[in-house]
Amino acid sequence: MSLEVRGLAAGYGRLEVLHGVDLTAGDGRLVAVIGANGAGKTTLLRALSGLIPASGGTVTLAGADVTGSGPERLARAGLAHVPENRLVFPSLTVEDNLVLGAYTRRRGPAAERREARDRALALFPRLQPRLQQVAGTMSGGEQQMLAIARGLMAQPTVLVLDEPSVGLAPRLVGEIFTALGKLRDDGLTLVAVEQNARAAFAVADHVYVMDRGAVVLEGDAATLASDPRVTAAFLGGGLSGDTPDGPPTPGTAEAGQR
Amino acid sequence: MVDLLQLVFAGLSQGAVYALVAIGFVAIFTVSGVINLAQGEFAALGGLVAISAVGSGLPLLAAVVVAVATVAVVAVLMERLTIAPVKRMTTLVSLILTLGVSTGLKALMLLVYGPDAEGLTPINPGGFTVGGVSIRYQELWILAVAAVVSAAVYWFYERTLAGKALRACAEQPVAARLVGISLGRASLTAFLIAGCVGAIAGVMASPIYFTSWESGLTLGLKGFVAATLGGLVSVRGAVLGGLLLGVLENLTAGYVSTGLRDAVAFLLLIVVLVARPSGVFGRSAEARV
Ligand SMILES: Nc1ncnc2c1ncn2[C@@H]1O[C@H](COP(=O)(O)OP(=O)(O)O)[C@@H](O)[C@H]1O
Ligand SMILES: [Mg+2]
Repeated sequence: MSLEVRGLAAGYGRLEVLHGVDLTAGDGRLVAVIGANGAGKTTLLRALSGLIPASGGTVTLAGADVTGSGPERLARAGLAHVPENRLVFPSLTVEDNLVLGAYTRRRGPAAERREARDRALALFPRLQPRLQQVAGTMSGGEQQMLAIARGLMAQPTVLVLDEPSVGLAPRLVGEIFTALGKLRDDGLTLVAVEQNARAAFAVADHVYVMDRGAVVLEGDAATLASDPRVTAAFLGGGLSGDTPDGPPTPGTAEAGQR
Repeated sequence: MVDLLQLVFAGLSQGAVYALVAIGFVAIFTVSGVINLAQGEFAALGGLVAISAVGSGLPLLAAVVVAVATVAVVAVLMERLTIAPVKRMTTLVSLILTLGVSTGLKALMLLVYGPDAEGLTPINPGGFTVGGVSIRYQELWILAVAAVVSAAVYWFYERTLAGKALRACAEQPVAARLVGISLGRASLTAFLIAGCVGAIAGVMASPIYFTSWESGLTLGLKGFVAATLGGLVSVRGAVLGGLLLGVLENLTAGYVSTGLRDAVAFLLLIVVLVARPSGVFGRSAEARV
């Protein structure tokens, strides 16, 4: 198992937000975590990558216990985190953003870094002509692609993404999830947090549903997609407030944004 | 006309010293948000260590190396002992801490080197006159060294991986950590840079402007104003700010009154803070170096 989370608890100061989350992501699988705004999805990823300390539970990455490691160590251990809101380095060029993505590999062979860069650019060809452009001047979609490409430059074993589709036009959402699917097919393990449940279900192998800091439902994507609790809350029913106002069109990679 | 040229030239070489001090402010502020009130003391200490090293028989170049190394160690220790242990750095806490270090360093310098101001031996003594403008060799050295050091710092931030990593920390600390950059190491590197440029500024200034335990106050203030002219986040802005401040000070002293020389810095500071908090040479409040 590439990533195993057992009973993970974490929060901010004395406020506990995650109350014992279990999550498993096997090799070459794309796991989606969905849930309403405020469910604790971002907090889960922050605790995973060491941005906030875990107050309980364990995180195992490729067989090694990494609980309590800081983000610098986890990056070296093979976890890449594409954060909420992309957080590209705005005044640096696209090229330099990629170069910094490989920071943990800086002492490794240059050929490996070049290969990682070629693969990332092949995955997101839109970045190629913009290599010398300052990252902050790119569109939201391009910045998201750059953020993912930057994460890939570390040649991770697990890539976690926080709402890669948020605020993007449907066509771009499709493009990004197609890229994630390709990465999965190449054997990378992915955990994608999403509010856009349709986009997530369209490509994920396994789906976790979070609510108030806990996993309330999990299962095979195909099975869960027809689960009435999921369809009601996320795929068109309108219980959670995260669903589009228009008529539901399940299975398509669009909408689901506020 | 000759007067004007003379004043501008003197202003540029004095401003080059401010520019070096200002680069130190920028290096630290961009990475950690700390305004280092001990930056002037780095310069004073550099000058004093070089003077005493020459006094104990070391050749000038070796004395300069000793001075820069000493200040670099002091800067690194300062970061490890006062800045690094603070979990939640706020502007107020950083001001209190660095003011404390500044005061401590001043007391230490007074204790070790005594109260008198002294000048370091110049690289070449004397000077020459062109078209009525008298130029000291040391002023040319200051300009040359400041140009080389600024260019080197600029190259470091623009071209090297370590420099780009520092810029990443300045712009987007969370993302910097996620790609594996240690903010603690970045802050340490920033202090190291600030210590080195500060010491170089102090050593270069000493033969003309003299150095004492309290020279850091003026140098630090002028350097801070210069850095603020560039928005505190740009090396280029800091250099331009330093040169501008030096020239304006000398023009004021020459054409208005020598007594007003030191008021120029305060006036500029007020004007900048009121009119353009992002700096005269800064493009925006966004962090860049
Ligand atoms: N930095 C923070 N400090 C305190 N509370 C926070 C912080 N970030 C998030 N929270 C709280 O944690 C809960 C979960 O938030 P978050 O993980 O961002 O949810 P999601 O990503 O699912 O929208 C929310 O109640 C939110 O208010
Ligand atoms: Mg979130």
